[in-house]
Amino acid sequence: MSDRNQNERNNKVVVPIGPQHPSLKEPGSFKITLDGEKVERAVVEIGYNHRGIEKACESRNYIQALYIIERVCGICSHAHTLCFCQAFEELAGLEVPRRAHYIRGIVGELERLHSHLLWLGVAAHEIGFDTLFMYTWRDRELVLDLLARIGGNRVNYGVNTYGGVRRDLEPELMQDILHVCDLLEEKLKYYADLALTETTLIARLKGIGVLTPDDVRKYSAVGPVARAAGIEGDVRVAEPYGVFKEIAVNVITDDHCDVYGRTLVRVKEMLEAIRLIRIMVAQIPEGPISVRAPRKLPVGEVLSRVEAPRGEDIHYIRSTGTDMPDRVRVRAPTEANWHGMSHMLEGFQLADVPIIIAAIDPCYSCTDRAIHLIGDGINQLTDWAQIRALSIEQYKSRGIDPGSIKVREF
Amino acid sequence: MNTEETILALNKRFPALEATSARPLRIFTAFAAPEEFEKTLQYAFSKLDYHKGKHIVGTDEGENIGLSYILSNDENVLLVLRERVPKSAPHVRSMGELFPSLMLHEREMVDLFGVQVSGLPEGPNYPLPDGWPEGEYPLRKEWNPAYFNKQTMTYEPPKEEDAK
Repeated sequence: MSDRNQNERNNKVVVPIGPQHPSLKEPGSFKITLDGEKVERAVVEIGYNHRGIEKACESRNYIQALYIIERVCGICSHAHTLCFCQAFEELAGLEVPRRAHYIRGIVGELERLHSHLLWLGVAAHEIGFDTLFMYTWRDRELVLDLLARIGGNRVNYGVNTYGGVRRDLEPELMQDILHVCDLLEEKLKYYADLALTETTLIARLKGIGVLTPDDVRKYSAVGPVARAAGIEGDVRVAEPYGVFKEIAVNVITDDHCDVYGRTLVRVKEMLEAIRLIRIMVAQIPEGPISVRAPRKLPVGEVLSRVEAPRGEDIHYIRSTGTDMPDRVRVRAPTEANWHGMSHMLEGFQLADVPIIIAAIDPCYSCTDRAIHLIGDGINQLTDWAQIRALSIEQYKSRGIDPGSIKVREF
Repeated sequence: MNTEETILALNKRFPALEATSARPLRIFTAFAAPEEFEKTLQYAFSKLDYHKGKHIVGTDEGENIGLSYILSNDENVLLVLRERVPKSAPHVRSMGELFPSLMLHEREMVDLFGVQVSGLPEGPNYPLPDGWPEGEYPLRKEWNPAYFNKQTMTYEPPKEEDAK
């Protein structure tokens, strides 16, 4: 008997979600078998963003490959280049200057802040809490502005290079980083308080998408998903690299094992990121920011890993002694967290599916190692004042005059 | 079990693996004999407590396809166990029962390297799109992306006489 006939006979409905769907902004397909409103079975189909990034790296030299690796992901591009550079530096036997380690650390924690703020907004949107979505995405702009000042771009900052970093941090910029940390800390404490006390939010997130510590081991989940089940897996502590050999990280864990736990972990991790940035800015040493790197690597292979915002990121490089990698393999954290997705969905309500999927903070591009170039090369920058003017114009065209609304100054 | 203890145990039980570590928390091994490979994975899982299947790295080894299984334990050691199968008839057994997290990577080996994985549960392909031409495995070294037509989804290498 076919699956369809079997389902009809058992009064089951299969709901196909995606690959294009309104819930998430990247393509993924989910075939959800329902018993009433309850998810009985979930089949996850991904791969829609595959662009052959690993093959592309194999036919280019290491310098070119780094630019491709930066574009594995728009959110955690720094984590990917850091992981790739570390692998290169290990094979080449390069000693990275201390100041470069600190700059990598500061940018990495800023990236964690903007990634988690983005996630918090998406999660709020999925449960209909759009006020929180707008607050967090507004706050995220502060971090993106800093990253744009550091690297000249909001998402692909191009900070990392083999043997160090390409951009130094001027004292004035570091003062501004501290100022933004102060502003964000105040807001994050409010969000943490909200997550702990807002009854609707708690009721909506608690007890869904459960992944127990045994499940985490079975499915090899990583990052906030694992830490929300009490598993202390954090590469910055398990295998300290760069600046984290000098500065200790407090690993944030939670024992809810559900979407609520993942929310608490990420909110607290942002406060921890601010603490780390303050220490790094205070202790950053003077000195060079890079050393000269060779064009060719000696024969060998290496596995490198870093703690990206979504969890453990692993890069493999095999060199045959030329200036091009023989094999590159990127295992992004989202790829690790897909394995337990069906298990997290099964047994819960159809209405919970979007937030359960969103709770692993999925990055389809990372998983599939995508590279996607858009636009015609014309740069366009819209500042806050222009955004405000455009919105006022749009509201006025609909007969609403928002002119009296005051914008809070940052 | 830490890096040194793992190397001692592995080399005692499977001397041909020649497990070595060039740095803390990394263990690389030689390619295991085909008949031994499953035993090494089972041994690592049940006796050495390497219960996390991190991922599989496929490599083109000329006449063979290499499969490097990256495992980890609670002490965060990354252990690389490998097997090699002939490119002409690449066939392995799924390790999904032992390591459910490796199944996605096994599907990747099917699509990108053309490795047949027996025992892999029915499921969607990963990561190549529907309509990808049969018998074309893009991560094999002889596969050249310049000959792939994205519009028609066909792979058209020049004929030998054209190349001359």
